[in-house]
Amino acid sequence: MAARRTRKGRTRSRAEREFVSEAEEIVERMRDDLLSLSEQQAAGADPDPDLVNQLFRAAHSLKGLSGMFGLDGMSELAHRLEDVLDRLRLGRVADPTGASALVEEAVALVASSLAGLGDDASTAATVGAISDLTGRIDAWLVLPTEAAGDAPDLAIDPTLLRALTEYEEHRLRHNVARGRYVHQIETCHDLQSFDAALSELGEAIKVDGELISTLPSAAGGDGSEIRFLLLAASDLDAPDLAAHLGLPESAVRCTGRSGDAAGEPAPAAGAAAPAVPAAEPAAAGRAPGDEVETLKSIGETVRVDIRKLDELMNLVGELMIQRRTLGALAQRLLADDQTTRVGAELDKVHKGLERKLQELQAGVLEVRMVPLRQIFEKLSRVVRRLRRDLDRAVKLEIRGADTELDKLIVEELVDPLVHVVRNAFDHAIEPPAEREAAGKPVEGTIRIEAYQRGNDVIVAVSDDGRGIDSERVHRKALERELVDPEQNLSPKEKLDLVFTPGLSTRDEVTETSGRGVGMDVVRANVTALGGLVGIESTPGQGTCLTMTLPITLAIVQALVVSVGAQRFAVPLSAVHETLFVAEEDLQRSRGGELLNLRGQALPVRRLAREFALPQTDPPDKMSLVVLGLGELRVGLLVDRLEGQQDAVIKPIQGPVADLRGIAGATELGDGEAVLVLDVAALVEDAGRLREAA
Amino acid sequence: MSAPTETPTGASWEELARSGAAQEAEAPAARRLELVTFELDGDPFAAPVAQVREIVRLRPITPVPRVPDAVRGVISLRGEIAQVLDLRRCLGLKPAVASRSSRIIVIHGEEGGVCGLLVDAVRDVLRIDEDETLAPPPGEGDLVVALCPRGDSFVSLLDLERVIELGLARTS
Repeated sequence: MAARRTRKGRTRSRAEREFVSEAEEIVERMRDDLLSLSEQQAAGADPDPDLVNQLFRAAHSLKGLSGMFGLDGMSELAHRLEDVLDRLRLGRVADPTGASALVEEAVALVASSLAGLGDDASTAATVGAISDLTGRIDAWLVLPTEAAGDAPDLAIDPTLLRALTEYEEHRLRHNVARGRYVHQIETCHDLQSFDAALSELGEAIKVDGELISTLPSAAGGDGSEIRFLLLAASDLDAPDLAAHLGLPESAVRCTGRSGDAAGEPAPAAGAAAPAVPAAEPAAAGRAPGDEVETLKSIGETVRVDIRKLDELMNLVGELMIQRRTLGALAQRLLADDQTTRVGAELDKVHKGLERKLQELQAGVLEVRMVPLRQIFEKLSRVVRRLRRDLDRAVKLEIRGADTELDKLIVEELVDPLVHVVRNAFDHAIEPPAEREAAGKPVEGTIRIEAYQRGNDVIVAVSDDGRGIDSERVHRKALERELVDPEQNLSPKEKLDLVFTPGLSTRDEVTETSGRGVGMDVVRANVTALGGLVGIESTPGQGTCLTMTLPITLAIVQALVVSVGAQRFAVPLSAVHETLFVAEEDLQRSRGGELLNLRGQALPVRRLAREFALPQTDPPDKMSLVVLGLGELRVGLLVDRLEGQQDAVIKPIQGPVADLRGIAGATELGDGEAVLVLDVAALVEDAGRLREAA
Repeated sequence: MSAPTETPTGASWEELARSGAAQEAEAPAARRLELVTFELDGDPFAAPVAQVREIVRLRPITPVPRVPDAVRGVISLRGEIAQVLDLRRCLGLKPAVASRSSRIIVIHGEEGGVCGLLVDAVRDVLRIDEDETLAPPPGEGDLVVALCPRGDSFVSLLDLERVIELGLARTS
């Protein structure tokens, strides 16, 4: 069926989009890291080992991800990348700059092949480029490497030395060569919180040195505690390091320093004997690069395919429907004198079931929620890059990153938000000289703020830039014949024209904000999620773009309305208000009917006429549902309001794919399907009619 | 279970089975068709059982605006929402009238979707070898793919996808 086909197609492209966005995120991070790395190399500094490690892990993720998606070429390339980075982090590279150049080339190639994904011609081109580069990396990999030196001559327990991975050994040697002290640190932590405590300790060690290895120790502990033996290199000697870490002096023991091989006497293997291979067999065999993850993977989380959650949600929805049927049955029994007692009992059971089902529903919904932090972090990377590329002073302030939204909505929000932030960066924030002249701080500010309000989440992006001149927007729209010159628009309506397709307030196209995609795409994306977009701007002071989003797509609060005998559901998020109107309240105008709503002319559409519905006996006082989409308002005239209900919106399956004005259907408990109105389409149609008139 | 069980002819079951399989491989038997038969405006029609997911009684059909006339509306199948087409109108016959015998045949559409087809009545399942069917007379278009003799009449086997496609085009 056609409808099904498009839905299938969307699922497929969603999987692809997910892959591409995840891969792009990895590539973006790798580019950032490579940039820092080349800066460090250029400055002649010792590259930060964490940086190389991070790159190595990124290549590893990329390999797995592209392999899973069947992109063998990319997976092969990522595999080579991993090899190169592994050499780099193990210090077995004669020419580190050459190695990072290869890595940079490979990352750029991955980025371009991601961009060309799905396009056969460009895929063919990248396949060639990938195999060429893979060949060159292979050639590079067989070059002689710097030989690993002998084990450092340190007073370290040989059992402990054997427990080190190749990488850790390399780092140990490297630090000894730099003339740092090598310390053994004994610590003891609570089982509940050792993860956090250890990472805190690691950070503190990093200030003057490096944490080489963390080994759990078998000795001591009463079951609620766990002991660790840390091997660290530091510029500080033992007493200083202990003081710096806030540990008793006895906990830190220096095991040596280059040119000072004797150091302190070797520790007697005893109290602190580390739990080496025998006690932790996995340690010896684990892959290099996993050291950091080993501890973290103890976390109690699972990854779940969102589609499985969709299925669960559907099941819960169906249970709710059955629950309502049960409730109706109880009411029927209650109404009959003969069965009142049974009815009362059934009603009690039904009420209990209802409570539990609501808890279940809330639970499933909660699982779908993810904090906005994920995309906010992406945005701050975008800003960081723009700041570097354009050399402009702009800071990004983030508030409410813990605000949670449905995973699907969060994903669909990435593109519009990136677009809005880039726009602000590119168009809104003035050059420093202009800012200074206007008496503003030289550094511009873009602020992203998220918070929950009732059943909605508000995401606002504001800047302290030049603002938008609504008159100019209007002029532009007139030039491009996007508005009726006779239409008398308020300043707010003029500003709202920025969302009109085909309008760009800047004539030139810049690299930063891209070509062709404008605010109209932002509005389309957000409204597709059942959200609203609004904009406010004060010339000279800044602009604030507000997105109002439903918390979840799985269940909507619906207003049930009726015309004649047929019911319809309207997503409550789009309903601004409802009122009673009589025929005489409505006035005819060029484009249709209008209602004077507190001094504003509200265009009115009759659902009966719009959908050609049989309207047998319209009531004297009809109901008007005021629908809002951004700044647009439309009144929808119906016979009656039937009430408010939770609705699980289902797609309509069947051969007719294009059901204009219908977003889907839902079952409200009596077995009958009720159509859910597509508010965006209705409001748009009304707008178009008004323009056509 | 030591020795293979003997059959009346002396050959083991296993041998018989093997020779049977060999025979089948040599001369494939005519394809056996399994068809659901139903009535439209007094005439018998059929569709492959394999295409049918379920058959449900007539229930309230919610009308949908702005669609071809062949679409009667949508129904809820335990929460799943499916369009229902009037098969009579798809074939250019006069619209269906609801009756006690009216049924909705729910078929599997492309790629896992479903679609309901409103028919006057569902009769039975007809099993027939493919070579017993007759080619449709010219003029039936390509909507009828075969005629299946039953008693002294013929049941028209429909190509449902074609019927739906043309029916929507005809009534839009």
